[in-house]
Amino acid sequence: MFDRGILLQVLWTSIAAASFQVLLTIAFALVLKVTKIWNFAQPALMGVAFYTLFVAVNWVGAPIPAAILIAFLVTAAFGFAIERFAFQTLRERGSESITFFIFTLIFAQLVIYVLTLAFTTEPVFLFANMMSPTTLVGGVVVSAWDVSSIIVAVVLTLALLVFLRYTRLGQYMIAVADNADLAEAYGISKRQSYAAAMVIAALFITAAMYLFGSKLAVFPELTLHMMIFAVVATILGGIDRIFPAALAAVGISLLQQLSVLVIDSRWQPLIVFSVLFVAIIFFPRGIRLPARRVVGDGRTGVGTAEAT
Amino acid sequence: MTKRISAGRRLVTTSILLLGLAANSVLAQTKAPFTFGVALPTTGAAAPFGLDQVQALEWAVADINAKGGANGRKLNAVILDTQARPQVGIDVVTRLVSVEKVPLVITAFSAVVAAVAPIVNRNNVLTFVIGANSPRIATMGDYVYTTYPLADVDVTLLAKYARTEMKKSNAAVLYLNDESGVYGARVFRENFEKLGGRIVAYESYEPNSTDYTGAILKIRASNPEIVHLQGNAGDSPQAIAQLRQLGIKVPITSYTAAYNPQMVKQLGTQADGLIVASLAPGVADLPSVASYVERWKKEKGREPNNVPVTQYVHDGAYVIKALVEHLDKTNTPLTGENLRKALLELKSFKLPLTEDVTINENHTVFKPVYLLEVKGGAFVPIRVFK
Repeated sequence: MFDRGILLQVLWTSIAAASFQVLLTIAFALVLKVTKIWNFAQPALMGVAFYTLFVAVNWVGAPIPAAILIAFLVTAAFGFAIERFAFQTLRERGSESITFFIFTLIFAQLVIYVLTLAFTTEPVFLFANMMSPTTLVGGVVVSAWDVSSIIVAVVLTLALLVFLRYTRLGQYMIAVADNADLAEAYGISKRQSYAAAMVIAALFITAAMYLFGSKLAVFPELTLHMMIFAVVATILGGIDRIFPAALAAVGISLLQQLSVLVIDSRWQPLIVFSVLFVAIIFFPRGIRLPARRVVGDGRTGVGTAEAT
Repeated sequence: MTKRISAGRRLVTTSILLLGLAANSVLAQTKAPFTFGVALPTTGAAAPFGLDQVQALEWAVADINAKGGANGRKLNAVILDTQARPQVGIDVVTRLVSVEKVPLVITAFSAVVAAVAPIVNRNNVLTFVIGANSPRIATMGDYVYTTYPLADVDVTLLAKYARTEMKKSNAAVLYLNDESGVYGARVFRENFEKLGGRIVAYESYEPNSTDYTGAILKIRASNPEIVHLQGNAGDSPQAIAQLRQLGIKVPITSYTAAYNPQMVKQLGTQADGLIVASLAPGVADLPSVASYVERWKKEKGREPNNVPVTQYVHDGAYVIKALVEHLDKTNTPLTGENLRKALLELKSFKLPLTEDVTINENHTVFKPVYLLEVKGGAFVPIRVFK
């Protein structure tokens, strides 16, 4: 039953389906790494991004690049406003992390209610045409959506990697993520890094929602379900580690899709929650590769190097 | 003399007649309207279908009222939104029963019906289920009746058609994991297997999801000759699109939930090979249906979503009219109990868009099944099973 063709199809579809999950996971992990906030308000940003795209494409009739730009600007402004007016206020008050947690959760729910009032609970597609052109490659159905999604996810991920490693702002953000007070002592603005993290997250969220909405239907509450995947991948990848979290997203997607070959598909949603359960209990700091032994010269003793 | 008497008589007779007519008219005007509840989805995934059903009902009520109502009593519908969600359905029906105090409710969507059945049974509120098709609806209580055939009728026929007419030896079933999907899918599986067919994949998807990739990949892996889809009106178009997108080109059978010309327009020829069972006469079968569809085109600029179910909902108003007239004849109060008694006494109704319907003792109805297939991006009638 499970011949090579089917396995290849499942693998390809899983990787393609992981593309938007990777982007959403990176957005979540980046904000967590830089601001140390579990941003459960992300579904609100996802909803804002999608419905701005929807309005721009279907009501205003804007060309796709313009619609994406508008959606990014709106989502970025929204993200910036959350950072500036909510997170910053809570920080200045010296609020506990539970306060941030409650605020983000309630804020997401509030925005979802508003979006539901405005757009109803009806699932909508970004485009009238639900189908993407397909080609058969060695017995595997490859759609244009699959290819473009993978390309977008890879390009954006690499761009972020380059940005964080080689640009001044990116290095500042890493410095703030490592030790915000120390970074500030060196003249790096914490606020700027926090805001930058929210704006970059908005870019990833907009791209993810564009990809999702151009293939599957969206309704406001769906964004809450979608975020769970990002949270699980972030925990599994190791909190504070953006790119391993992205890899974890691909891994969970593969696990989820491959699972249908051995279990009934109705149990499939359970996979994500099972992974979350296992990750929290057994891998609270994420799955890390075994530490490499660094054999010293006898004077320095034995050291370890963390594989990230 | 005779002439004078005759003239006098005529005068008296005319006066009596006029008085009678006036009294009748006054009586008609003073008769309180009959208010019933409607619990259908007007927002949410199923809204495009629920809204069209509500529209059909409103037209029927307006037409009945324009012709004097139910023997002089106007019909009045209180319409509330269930979003096709069981929890919302419970809230809505509770309000209809407790606040609006309606003795009769029209509702649909099997999961909603299963959730609200205990409420209507407890409060003796006669409930017409129109469009839902879980076979369990027939056993959901004394006050729950359907005017629409359940899955035992059309899904059984689809299984037989796939096995005996299309000669398919194996089939995959993709179903929505809710009341309507689970039980409808079971009907297909049992009937297909009974005829010697083999179910090679039996996969479900969740009501709150829009990505069915996992289930569809498994179906693809099983390489079926035909796929039966047992979804809801809201998710069926997405399921069909995703089946085709993942390269499953075999015929797809489904019940009336997939009878959606708008969806076919969106999918174009990708929808070719979709076979749906409709339970109502089409445009070519009945002139009144042709006028009805014309009315849609004229007033809304399109055909309704899921035409057959809108026909049944439309005709639901005429069943209510018949019950009210029946009870008013004997000045019997229009309570849920009495409306139920009237339904059991009348049993058979002649309806404008769905023709004859008889409510069976076991809470079911049987109707002809009209099979349609999408060919060249449009629904084409292929067969009627009487």
